[in-house]
Amino acid sequence: MTAVARRLRELPSWQVTLSAALLVLGFLVAAQLSAEGPRIRYTSQERVPLVETVIGLQTQQDSLKDRILALRAQIGDLEAELPASAAQEKALNAELEQARIASGLAQLAGPGLVFKLEDADGALGNANADGLVTARDVRILIQELWLAGAEAISVNGERITTTTAVLDIGNSILVNSAYLAPPYQITAIGPTDLYDRVSGSASFVEFVTSRVDPSGIRLSFAEIESVTVPAFAGTVSGRYIKPSAPAP
Amino acid sequence: MTAVALVLGFLVVAQLRGQVADASLSQQSAQDLTLLIANLNTHNEQLRGDIATLEQQLADLTDSHSRGDSAADQLRAELAQIQGWAGLRAVQGPGITIQVAGEISGEGVEDLLNELRNAGAEAISIGGVRVVPGSVVAGAAGALSIENTPLSGTFEILAIGSPQILTGSLTRAGGIIAQLSVTFPDAQISVTPLEAIAIPATDRNLAPVNGKPSL
Repeated sequence: MTAVARRLRELPSWQVTLSAALLVLGFLVAAQLSAEGPRIRYTSQERVPLVETVIGLQTQQDSLKDRILALRAQIGDLEAELPASAAQEKALNAELEQARIASGLAQLAGPGLVFKLEDADGALGNANADGLVTARDVRILIQELWLAGAEAISVNGERITTTTAVLDIGNSILVNSAYLAPPYQITAIGPTDLYDRVSGSASFVEFVTSRVDPSGIRLSFAEIESVTVPAFAGTVSGRYIKPSAPAP
Repeated sequence: MTAVALVLGFLVVAQLRGQVADASLSQQSAQDLTLLIANLNTHNEQLRGDIATLEQQLADLTDSHSRGDSAADQLRAELAQIQGWAGLRAVQGPGITIQVAGEISGEGVEDLLNELRNAGAEAISIGGVRVVPGSVVAGAAGALSIENTPLSGTFEILAIGSPQILTGSLTRAGGIIAQLSVTFPDAQISVTPLEAIAIPATDRNLAPVNGKPSL
């Protein structure tokens, strides 16, 4: 045993890492290929075309959102290239930058916290409704994070904004009209003691003891030195809302 | 070495995301899938409209830029729109007023706000306080507050949006108000459409301190 161990330790570490990496790579490629079969077996005749339609629409949605982000970036870049003499425009542009950052239209990075919420083990198969994570569970965590001083929050990449609704759909959720499947990662940027503040809140403790523990849904967290909360890629124009004149 | 790690990382994410989302979809009922399709179609249409607007904006800006004209008007319009949406500026418009009286918890009010957003509310205030990311109605029934402003026994929620859609969505059978009246039998919630509503800007400082723009 020790002879083998010694031999292993003598291997250059990069060889070990590379072999491990290639092993995992091989596994993933195989898993991706084999994923084709089982996926079709689970759905019934009528649902296959529906699922495919959803996937098609989601792919469309993703590219539409990418286009919006790209256009906003282009507009921002163009607005930044103003002639030096246009003082008024420069001031407006600076205000615009600030508004974008404060409103959720800019991607942010900073110290933070990630909560992971998962259905209870085997809940889906056993039709254990209690053990499925609901939109409400996600909303409660988001509220706790705001109350504890979070500055920006996203759920599986969807930025939480003034118009964001978090809804149940079947056994999954919709956030900003995007379909998200568990596990749900709720990422928040905030003060470095964000987790302490959240865990110290009576309503958070109540949530854990009366909802999380009894149902078996799994809640875990990680405090991270630098997390990224992506920009909101959706509608900011409203059909009924009219901005008032700016405050003097 | 890093290249392998990068490809690996990408594959892991793609594999997990793809498998998890698709596996989840194949578990949904035909009814929920149909609902999801309708939802996605509506949202995609909305996004296409936004793209058209943004493309026009970009074209106008490129025009002014190449002619050496002032883009001040366009910048002001964009600023107004973003600030209005984000809560950084006061806004007006048609919508509804909701009177809330009796015992209801912060959770219950938050559920109501979520439904308002689902129904297309474009700006919301509670007890005169603009609701923005970060504002949470908290507290037990009878001791509610938002952003350190206590909410008295009877308080008002204002929401700008389509008065018909907002009213219909909230008051429909099995809708949020019906659900809340089961959980909070002592609460009275009434909805009235209004033609003109004014909602103030937020007092909160929304500029991030710990978060910095990246990209």
